[in-house]
Amino acid sequence: MAKSKTPLLDQLESGPWPSFVSDLKQQAEVRAKNEAKTEFQIPQTVVEELMGLLELSYVHKRGHWKHGGIVGVFGYGGGVIGRYCDQPQQFPGVAHFHTLRVNQPSGKFYTTEYLRQLCDLWDFRGSGITNMHGSTGDIIFLGTTTPQLEEIFYEMTHKLNQDLGGSGSNLRTPSDCIGQARCEYACYDTHALCYHLTKEYQDELHRPAFPYKFKFKFDGCPNCCVASIARADMSFIGTWRDDIRIDQEAVQAYIGGELPPNAGDHSGRDWGPFDIQKEVIDLCPTECMWMENNKLMIENKECNRCMHCINVMPRALRIGKDTGLSILVGAKAPILDGAQMSSMLVPFIKAEEPYDEIKEIIENIWDWWMEEGKNRERLGELMKRQGFQKLLEVTGIDPDPRMVSEPRSNPYIFWKEEEVPGGFKRDISEFRKYHQR
Amino acid sequence: MPPAFLKKGHTMELDYEESKAKLVAGLQKKLKTKSKFYFNDLAKILEAKPREAKKIVNRMVQERILEYWSSGSTSLYGLPGTGKQDAAEGKE
Amino acid sequence: MAFISSGYNPDKPMEDRITDIGPRKYTDFYPPVIAKNKGKWLYHDVLKPGVLVHVAESGDKVFTVRCGGARLMSTTHIREICEIADKHCGGHVRFTTRNNIEFMVDDEKKLDPLVKDLESRKFAGGSYKFPVGGTGTAITNIVHTQGWIHCHTPATDASGPVKSTMDVLFDYFKDHRLPAKLRVSLACCLNMCGAVHCSDIAILGYHRKPPMLDHEYLDKMCEVPLAIAACPTAAIKPAKVEFGGQKVNSVAVNEPRCMFCGNCYTMCPGMPLADDVGDGIVIMAGGKVSNRISAPKFSKVVVAFIPNEPPRWPKTTECIRKIVEAYEKSANKYERLGEWAERIGWERFFEKCELEFTHHLIDDFRDPAYFTWRQTTQFKF
Repeated sequence: MAKSKTPLLDQLESGPWPSFVSDLKQQAEVRAKNEAKTEFQIPQTVVEELMGLLELSYVHKRGHWKHGGIVGVFGYGGGVIGRYCDQPQQFPGVAHFHTLRVNQPSGKFYTTEYLRQLCDLWDFRGSGITNMHGSTGDIIFLGTTTPQLEEIFYEMTHKLNQDLGGSGSNLRTPSDCIGQARCEYACYDTHALCYHLTKEYQDELHRPAFPYKFKFKFDGCPNCCVASIARADMSFIGTWRDDIRIDQEAVQAYIGGELPPNAGDHSGRDWGPFDIQKEVIDLCPTECMWMENNKLMIENKECNRCMHCINVMPRALRIGKDTGLSILVGAKAPILDGAQMSSMLVPFIKAEEPYDEIKEIIENIWDWWMEEGKNRERLGELMKRQGFQKLLEVTGIDPDPRMVSEPRSNPYIFWKEEEVPGGFKRDISEFRKYHQR
Repeated sequence: MPPAFLKKGHTMELDYEESKAKLVAGLQKKLKTKSKFYFNDLAKILEAKPREAKKIVNRMVQERILEYWSSGSTSLYGLPGTGKQDAAEGKE
Repeated sequence: MAFISSGYNPDKPMEDRITDIGPRKYTDFYPPVIAKNKGKWLYHDVLKPGVLVHVAESGDKVFTVRCGGARLMSTTHIREICEIADKHCGGHVRFTTRNNIEFMVDDEKKLDPLVKDLESRKFAGGSYKFPVGGTGTAITNIVHTQGWIHCHTPATDASGPVKSTMDVLFDYFKDHRLPAKLRVSLACCLNMCGAVHCSDIAILGYHRKPPMLDHEYLDKMCEVPLAIAACPTAAIKPAKVEFGGQKVNSVAVNEPRCMFCGNCYTMCPGMPLADDVGDGIVIMAGGKVSNRISAPKFSKVVVAFIPNEPPRWPKTTECIRKIVEAYEKSANKYERLGEWAERIGWERFFEKCELEFTHHLIDDFRDPAYFTWRQTTQFKF
């Protein structure tokens, strides 16, 4: 094959931000030299050809991939996305170029030993090109041929103790924030819950029987670093229900300028001396804070735990001790009826192993959605179609004002017969005794 | 009160062989127009609740009577070797 | 290139098969200082852009150096990350949700050599391999989707626009000078695998032409009922079409109903919709996911269309630069971009960002549209 020239892509090598083009080029070179003497199971020139195809997209301003229905390995309905290039004669090395989703560890911590094992496998049986990580959270292996899929899965499960992630109408690979591993704001162990539920629901993750995709995401606090509220059908967001812990000496240190506000996040600009009134108390959305005798006071009952004061003064304020999580449900990206964020279903629940209460809610929701959901209907859309009341009914959860931002502004309540004393059946002749026609 | 389908144990265990025959016959009948089906279509043919249907379907996949097809975002089921994209994808 | 078997036997796929084992357990990978102090962290400080220290109840400290990176990453690059992690971090490393790489050390003395090492490494083309930054009010890495490198329905590339945008915003990545966090995201079509709909600034690929119909091959390549079922707006119908003097089975598209999602192309390669002129970028702004001060918000469309301009997308990056600079100049401390726009009013937002307001920016999609029209006399001249 003639070497592809990539004049357009080459223009993405300059500038300070890490250049994926430079990285692809170094990878192509490493494969060409093959100093590690890898017995490549897919074409050695695969990276050059990938760049050639991408260059063609830069010329045509159109993509050059076709979707394929291949799902992966025997017995699994997800984890692999089929890709075929639409210029296979020109770029035979990437004619078949499937993606594998590899279920990432919680928190995305790795040892180098393990990362190298992944690299060895992927250099040997694939393109050596990855995403660290894909949008859902998986490690993405970008590009291999059909015969390699089972081989990769076999080696992954036998040698690396590692499974694939989800795709299609499955539970998608759950993902979490860094949580208590390195964050003082985390209200529950996101890694433990994410791992537990991922293991618990392996069948749902690998064997599709849902109407559409379903996502879990785990945020340790209301700062929502993994965006669970925007992206997950079930968002698990840490919170607490007792008092914010206050270190009054540290409050004074912030006021006195000894500690930088917001943990030093604003250090690049002179915002003037820290003003606790203006920067914390006046910005509190519930106005539940004030200064009294040089002490910061909080009416905790009125606090809605937005995290602002804690984010500004992490040395002085800490989350409460009675921690747990809120469950919000129904987020999705726009298609079809517009984007949705998750809505509050369970304001507070403890997050303790074995998480039976949480699993009961999950399974009740799944039973409803599997039964009632139309093809390709996300949970949030089913909620809109059948109503929030239906969600309460199937989960057995009592209504609570915390579930709404405001009560309804129309009175069109569709009363059910059993809710109205005496029911709907009435005697017209009895009525006529007192009311003429 | 939870809806009827949430009550545990209200459906009888489906007979596998009987269900298998029913599903294969149901899919073959529709083959003229399409070869790929949503899970819900399968459950309807089986006249079963999704959880019950899933047990049958999983086993039929294991036995290679059914196979998956994925659009990436959605999964479909079909009888192996059917469908127009099969050839195009050069199934090895 | 002889085929080497892993031990898998295609004739007996269930033999020795291991399934349903899930991911590796997180505890396999924690650095010792993390394993020891998990759940017992007291507070953190951002020492400088890209460098954090977390202090535990035990008095232990962990210093984190955050580096930007392309999420499209080769094993060669990952091996270099491993080499750095072995040299400085006892063989541990982590990645963030936003595709950053985090190197952690347990001693302040190890910090400077690590940062120096990271900043010294450059690709042959001249760009940094591991730029340090992206913490706090610095603009962090852009989360994105595949784009032209691997997606089948992209309306734009992902890695190219991201690289171009981060080059333009690079000073912001290295500096804590914005009023609050600013998150940029990219999705290469409206299916939004990347869920960019709650970002301060979202770059969204968008098709503007309905699919072409390859009548000659359509019925041979795809199953018409599947293509019909794939359409979210029910715009596709079966149709008999004259082709080469013969009636062939195909489809018809109700073009005004098409929302350009490409779902039909996924099911049916006989319905391609990509187009060099039709495709381009929508800019959205003002979303957030944090519950801090105000509730999470959706991003709003502020520019209806910018053409694709590979390799550097100059109009897109210029538009983003203008929004970021206007926000930097005018927002209050702690105020997110969307909170700022709401406080000053969207009419003022367009003025300050020097963006044109066009009819495409007024919502006309189903019920929610009404709630975005202005039902008050309160506005600004």
